[in-house]
Amino acid sequence: MAKTKQIDPAEVSRKLAVLEPQLKELQQKEEAETDPKKKVKLAKRIDRVREKMRQTKTGERLSRQSKRDLVAYTFLVPNFVGFAVFTLGPVIFAFILAFLKWDGNNPMQFAGLDNFMAMLGNKRFLASLRNTVVYCIGTVPLTLVAALGLAVLLNQKIKGRNFFRTVSFFPYVASLVAVAAVWNMLFSPAKSGPVNMILYNLGVSAKSLPKWSADKNWVMFTVILFSVWKNMGYYMVIYLAGLQGINSELYEACSLDGANTWQRFRYITWPQLQPTTFFVTVMLTINCFKVYDIVYMLAGGSSGVLNESAIVLVYHIYEEAFRNWNLGYASAAAMVLFLMVLAITLIQFQGEKKYAN
Amino acid sequence: MMKKRLTSLALVMAMAGSLAACGGSSAPETAAPAADGTTAAETKAEAKTEAAADGKTVLKWAMWDKDLTVYYQPLIEGFEAAHPDVTVELVDLGSSDYQTVLATQLTGSGSDFDVVTIKDVPGYTTLVNKGVLEPLDDYIAKDSVDLAAFKGLTDQITVDGKLYELPFRSDFWVVYYNKDVFDNAGAAYPTNDMTFEEYDTLARSLTVDVPGQEVYGAHYHTWRSAIQLFGILDGKNTILDGSYDFLKPYYEMILAQQEDGVCQDYATLKTSSLHYSGAFSQGNVAMMNMGTWFIPTMIDKIKAGEYTDCTNWGIVKYPHAEGVEPGSTLATITALSIPATAKDKDLSWDFVKFVCGEEGADILAGTGTIPAMMNDDIAGMIASMDGYPEDENSKEALQTANLYLEMPVHAKSSEIETVLNEAHDNIMTGNMTIDEGIADMNEKVTAILAQ
Repeated sequence: MAKTKQIDPAEVSRKLAVLEPQLKELQQKEEAETDPKKKVKLAKRIDRVREKMRQTKTGERLSRQSKRDLVAYTFLVPNFVGFAVFTLGPVIFAFILAFLKWDGNNPMQFAGLDNFMAMLGNKRFLASLRNTVVYCIGTVPLTLVAALGLAVLLNQKIKGRNFFRTVSFFPYVASLVAVAAVWNMLFSPAKSGPVNMILYNLGVSAKSLPKWSADKNWVMFTVILFSVWKNMGYYMVIYLAGLQGINSELYEACSLDGANTWQRFRYITWPQLQPTTFFVTVMLTINCFKVYDIVYMLAGGSSGVLNESAIVLVYHIYEEAFRNWNLGYASAAAMVLFLMVLAITLIQFQGEKKYAN
Repeated sequence: MMKKRLTSLALVMAMAGSLAACGGSSAPETAAPAADGTTAAETKAEAKTEAAADGKTVLKWAMWDKDLTVYYQPLIEGFEAAHPDVTVELVDLGSSDYQTVLATQLTGSGSDFDVVTIKDVPGYTTLVNKGVLEPLDDYIAKDSVDLAAFKGLTDQITVDGKLYELPFRSDFWVVYYNKDVFDNAGAAYPTNDMTFEEYDTLARSLTVDVPGQEVYGAHYHTWRSAIQLFGILDGKNTILDGSYDFLKPYYEMILAQQEDGVCQDYATLKTSSLHYSGAFSQGNVAMMNMGTWFIPTMIDKIKAGEYTDCTNWGIVKYPHAEGVEPGSTLATITALSIPATAKDKDLSWDFVKFVCGEEGADILAGTGTIPAMMNDDIAGMIASMDGYPEDENSKEALQTANLYLEMPVHAKSSEIETVLNEAHDNIMTGNMTIDEGIADMNEKVTAILAQ
């Protein structure tokens, strides 16, 4: 291999003359150091100097470490190229676009913070922000509770356990379009709709029956309910995995101490599930901010236009970008969404340090 | 812990990626074609020699519903017979979000369409604003095409004195009625000269609200245009005025009908996404206002035996306000445009001229479609089609007096459309009173117009 160069003995001894005193000095420092963190740092520097001395002696161009690094990078390249071209590039472009005014064809104009200012005055943006937050606040805890409840129930040895597990998971795999149509049929705004019929027979007057997804006061509730029902199966599976990871000795010890069911849950299951709960919360929150399809299917009607009572952020971004062709404004709105998700994630990273370890 | 952090990070990244897809991934780097758009006409001669491998020039035509629409093939055959060296290639972009897909395709310089179909006016305005369409005025002047045959429709789609599309198909709204329902009730059929009061009275007289045997005097599809646009037919107001108080009497009439079970409940129709054809073909709807695009469907489905409860049907003109000439109605147009990036614009123009002109109109009428270029011969051709109602009123209903576009040309038409749709929905579902809805429209549209 052509990796070694001609070794010039004079050159080698000259370099070693510089490096050897350095090494000695560092070694002395390390011995004198009491702070363990600094000690580790010094040890690393010593390693580097040793490596340099070895390279000088053998005449290799690359150190062993850099060779290993190179191999690793070669493996990473194909994936990274795809990521850079299809994700990183567009993301950066979208960030730049947020400060421009552009319709996709005419020349771009610099807009400064105009796009962000326009957002504050845009009723549809404010409505979408409000609805997205309401949706999140409603969906995350409800899904969490439903998924955990199902998981705890279906983790016990009951008859037909697998059947019920399948039933709970089914909504998640069923086609959204189909189940949304069924849901809208069940929650039909007419008096003859199945759910309204039940309410009517329970004594709700015909005038005050909710119109569900066509009613501005009930539409978010309907959407949240649907979303919980549709997604709880998926998170149930994650919780089931978490439950099965709990050491059964803990439960044994617990029952020896005479704990009842609630105490078992409160002092063993719940704390042991902390990491799972953390993961599920992150996933759920981020998915909630990305919601679009469910609202569109339930409340879009035939025109596919969402009202201020049901509009969500992602839909607002879509509508501004591809209906009204305000690409700059839409990117700015996307950036706001991104920052919100980022903020939540950072908060949750803080929480993770406390819980997960 | 590190692993979970990575998972979360990956999620954030995925999130960002999906955002980018919404925000800007369809956006190419330069806006060059728009800048070139206006000068492209002068340099068209250079590109003229481009030809397909077999020596035939390929003309790419963007459209939707290739297999469901009967007139594409006859039109292409007609054009290819006149131009033996040209092959027309259809590119189906799908019907539901056609204008969005087309606008995305024409964004940047990647598309190679020679002719594009324009589905609606807001979509047309968007493309004109984006500067991706070729003005047709020079071609029209050169070949002295007579725009009078389009009955004033071309004036309504002129933007800043320039015309960027030529309509080939023009549908207008009529009232479809089920003769059996009228016969059962012993009522006289509607006529071509009804005022809105007469129409309302007639609809109410046919309504039966016995549970299980309901008959609805009228049916309104959930589109805004099916109700809101009754208001513009007197010609005094337009839908872009920024002041919508004139809509109040019409909303009052329809909401009262809804309240009394004369028509089906809007909220139910909306959430069940019931198609208007499904509603009418059930045989319990006496009258339904809908566009003439429904005529070929009715004829076909009755022939095929799919519609059995509305085989005895007829058409009359739209009801009119007191003192207004009958036959004033809403129109939608389907038009052809030449993209600024087209290779051979003269050839594209030949195709546009053929489809939108008399030869094209004859071919369209032969398939039961109403061409934009309408005269007595063509109306006669449609009315004499096999399966078209045979009574005189139905034939006469095809003669229109004034045509108003569902959405006139305006730079902000898609934003205004959103406001109007939203207010319509809120009024019809009872989320807002009529006054609140109108105030909402007045406020928001005025704000958009002021921008």
